[in-house]
Amino acid sequence: MNKKLPALLLISVFVVATCGLIYELIAGTLASYLLGDSVTQFSTIIGVYLFSMGIGSWVSKYFEKNILSWFIQIEILVGLVGGFSSTVLFLVFESIASFRIVLYGFVSLTGILVGLEIPLLMRILKDRYEFKDLVSKVFTFDYIGALLASLIFPLLLIPHLGLVKTAYLFGMLNVAVALIVCLNFKKEIRASKYLQGASFISIIALLAGFIYADKITSFSESQTYSDTIIYSKSTPYQRIILTKKNKVLRLFLNGNLQFSSDDEYRYHEALVHPGLQALPFAKHVLVMGGGDGLAVREILKYPNVDSVTLVDLDKGMTGLFQSNKILLGLNKNALLSPKVKVINADAFSWVKAQRKKFDFIVIDFPDPSNYAVGKLYTNAFYKLVKGILAPKGLMVIQSTSPFVAPKSFWTVNKTLESVGLKTIPYHNYVPSFGEWGYIMATEPDNVYKKPQQYLPGLKFISKESLDLMLYFPKDMGKVETDVNKLNNQILVKYFEDEWANVL
Amino acid sequence: MSGQTFYKDELSAYLKRRSFLLRIGLITGGIFLNGCYKKMRSNRYNIPGTLQGPDAKAGHILRDKLKLPAAKSTRKVKTLIVGSGISGLSAGRWLKKNGETDFEILELENHTGGNSYYGSNKIASYPLGAHYITIANNDDALLIDFLKEIDVITHFEGQLPYYNDYYLTFDPEERLLINGEWQEGLIPDFGVPVADKKEIRRFLSEVDQLKNTRGNDGKFLFNIPLSSSSADENYRRLDKITFEAYLEEKGYRSKYLLWYLNYASKDDYGQKIKHISAWAGLHYFASRRGKAANAEQNAILTWPEGNGWIMKQLAGPLRDHIKTSSLCYDLKPMPNGNTLVTVFNTKTQLTENIEAEKIILCAPQFVNNRLLKNFNRNIDYKAFNYSPWLIANITINQLPESKGISLCWDNVAYNTPSVGYVNSAQQHLNLSEDKKVITYYLPLCDFEPAVARLAAYSRNYEQWLDIVIPELEIIHPGISKAIENIDFWVWGHGMIAPAKDFIWSENLAKAKLPVDDKIFFAHSDLSGVSIFEEAFHQGINAAKQVLNVTS
Repeated sequence: MNKKLPALLLISVFVVATCGLIYELIAGTLASYLLGDSVTQFSTIIGVYLFSMGIGSWVSKYFEKNILSWFIQIEILVGLVGGFSSTVLFLVFESIASFRIVLYGFVSLTGILVGLEIPLLMRILKDRYEFKDLVSKVFTFDYIGALLASLIFPLLLIPHLGLVKTAYLFGMLNVAVALIVCLNFKKEIRASKYLQGASFISIIALLAGFIYADKITSFSESQTYSDTIIYSKSTPYQRIILTKKNKVLRLFLNGNLQFSSDDEYRYHEALVHPGLQALPFAKHVLVMGGGDGLAVREILKYPNVDSVTLVDLDKGMTGLFQSNKILLGLNKNALLSPKVKVINADAFSWVKAQRKKFDFIVIDFPDPSNYAVGKLYTNAFYKLVKGILAPKGLMVIQSTSPFVAPKSFWTVNKTLESVGLKTIPYHNYVPSFGEWGYIMATEPDNVYKKPQQYLPGLKFISKESLDLMLYFPKDMGKVETDVNKLNNQILVKYFEDEWANVL
Repeated sequence: MSGQTFYKDELSAYLKRRSFLLRIGLITGGIFLNGCYKKMRSNRYNIPGTLQGPDAKAGHILRDKLKLPAAKSTRKVKTLIVGSGISGLSAGRWLKKNGETDFEILELENHTGGNSYYGSNKIASYPLGAHYITIANNDDALLIDFLKEIDVITHFEGQLPYYNDYYLTFDPEERLLINGEWQEGLIPDFGVPVADKKEIRRFLSEVDQLKNTRGNDGKFLFNIPLSSSSADENYRRLDKITFEAYLEEKGYRSKYLLWYLNYASKDDYGQKIKHISAWAGLHYFASRRGKAANAEQNAILTWPEGNGWIMKQLAGPLRDHIKTSSLCYDLKPMPNGNTLVTVFNTKTQLTENIEAEKIILCAPQFVNNRLLKNFNRNIDYKAFNYSPWLIANITINQLPESKGISLCWDNVAYNTPSVGYVNSAQQHLNLSEDKKVITYYLPLCDFEPAVARLAAYSRNYEQWLDIVIPELEIIHPGISKAIENIDFWVWGHGMIAPAKDFIWSENLAKAKLPVDDKIFFAHSDLSGVSIFEEAFHQGINAAKQVLNVTS
């Protein structure tokens, strides 16, 4: 036997080392993508990974017979676990509660297997080569491999292949090492044929994963959230994401921020109280949209209100805010109140079929960013809503930002006026959203009397703050626009143009 | 089957007529070879669906002159309307409006509607033929009255009608797939060279000018109904040349413009510009001047079931006068001056005679030709050519993502055989529907109508898939996987084709004349243009003539 280490073997060491570090980097990157806070994620992943490698090294002494065959099997296993790791993590991310367990489980498993590799390899080679030379060369190539991995990972692999494909690629390389070792030492291995077959099948499986990687998952979503995602769900209508950072909860629908728990009171107090406080006789209230129950929470503060009807399209949304503990804390169990009736229906058709009148109507729809939602901001829709508004009643509409999107805001105003309603536009500052606008509307004969006092315990709204809210400085002043109709949908176009400059 | 006899008769007549033996032989041979070839690949798509059309059985009884049971009874009806398409229903409405009660509308299908018929499935209602109208020209008082009656016009603001918000086509309205992207509107623009754009603008401004021009008799050059258009010879003569020749003469060469005009011509007439007259081609662009209080000029009105919706509004009040599954197959003059009509009920299989004082035939002329064996109209029926169409209603769970603006009501792709598809869910109010039905329209205009029709009748469901799916795959790569069902509908005689020298021909003028002041005619083929407004006015005109004669 030759005393010098063959280049092939050194390349194997090199590949094994590179793969090991790549898996660690993938886990770290993925964790910071999905969970946010990259310092914490990388730090804990690296810690767990190195510790697991230590376990692997320690466990290696319990392997006594057939070390060569064990080594090959472990190589195949590392390749499979490492290769499929990122895919599995992406797929189980949906069930967020158990995600960390799966993540650290994978990191530990990969770490243990990688920890086994070098000690076993050295034991295989120790009788064949000079020990001094062996240690020197194996560790040299081990560390060079690590350097290479740390350089190509951010510079080449992530930008060109992405996480999932990188994992599969290195999985294949790992199994290739197993195959090469298997072929080189086939006389010394009993089940050489079986191991060759296993390697071959594994490579095919990993190759399939590599080819279909794009179909398995896309990453864009997770990259957009900087906070920890604590809940995510796709309903038939939208993607709901709830994030948490320190004590602050944020709700995103299709990637758009709906509220942030630290300042949502500013939005919901402004939406509800200027109107409802001015209607001491109000008994029946309708809320359309607003499946989070936060507007309902404010409405239920009025003892004169007998019933609240909430119409929200998405059962997934109202269900979440009727069952999740953190969210029930936020909306004070509003959607579980016996006064509240939750209806999951399309608002347009629901209003069209509705005969009962309401004293106060809150319209809290998502922004008019597409033609489907745009229908709910048209004169046709407002005509219908006007039909179910009690003669002395008021309605209020969230109307996007008069600062960022003045044309959009004043289009809503104009559209309400076009169906014969008198409007009272106002605005306030909500840190998460910026300057935000609302429009109250009522029959032209009614006179809106500004409330002289408000319920105790409100954090934002007061007699003085409303005076400011009703005043529009020049930079948000009224602009002339058209009426938004089903057959022109100009609001969607304005909204797109105006927000395109900001986002 | 009777289809075979028909095929032989018509084909041999055709060959004698034109002696294009070789050419036709090649074409039909090609179709059959093509058919065999395609049949072998019939399992390519795993898409369920149906293949239907107007009731061929009833039609064939007429055509093949089958022996029917003898009439058992005879009853009297003052005015008999034959056909319940828009013209027949419109005639019925007018009679009823004017106090007539003794009239009956016979329909050979088991439903009313003619070309405005519609279908429905679990997901939605959808059109099977005509699917929109434009807002009425403001001088078209009769149409405006009707639209008020059915709440399409809700009120007036000043002089202008206010159209029902729910019937004006919802935005976004039209998009065109061109140069790899969906652009807004159907006039080619995205990636179109400047010189072509200039030519397109020149054409549009020319037709815009024509739109507002009156002839030497003070009437608009092009109007709806056609009969109210100017008789100015300087423009009437445009009916004697093809639209293609006219465009060439005017120096229009842009391939983008010519594509657009071919599209428009196919869309309205089922034929390309070389097979329609210049007068008809220009009428499409220069006859609509409708203004509304709440919509743009020429805005479009549509419903999930297309013109089926208007048809139902017409038919509803006439319910008690309509008899479906009633095939009228023979008319005979009686000694007392009345007409004896033999009617076969395809449901009960019984025949009866109806003695009618007046008859309004609201069927296309190729049908009238067979009904009026005992009368002499002295017209050339062969001048009436009808474009065959294929309509495919496609239930789809999700349209693949594509570049450019999102799904519109009307979606057309540049340089494809069809005239695109409409989203029948456009007028739905609900925010989100996971499935929708799109209605795809394919005019069969690559061969002469008679040949295209025979080929269309001979195709089976799989062969239609082989024609439609490849085009859809070009428009939306990957769409076949999203298709859940396709219902094909073949209109053998879809719409009258206004070929050159047809609309203002002496032949057509003669065809409009009543026979002996007893039999009157109403059908859009007598206008030469198959649009709702023409059928509507045809019906009223015929009803007016009947009322005049009787009063």
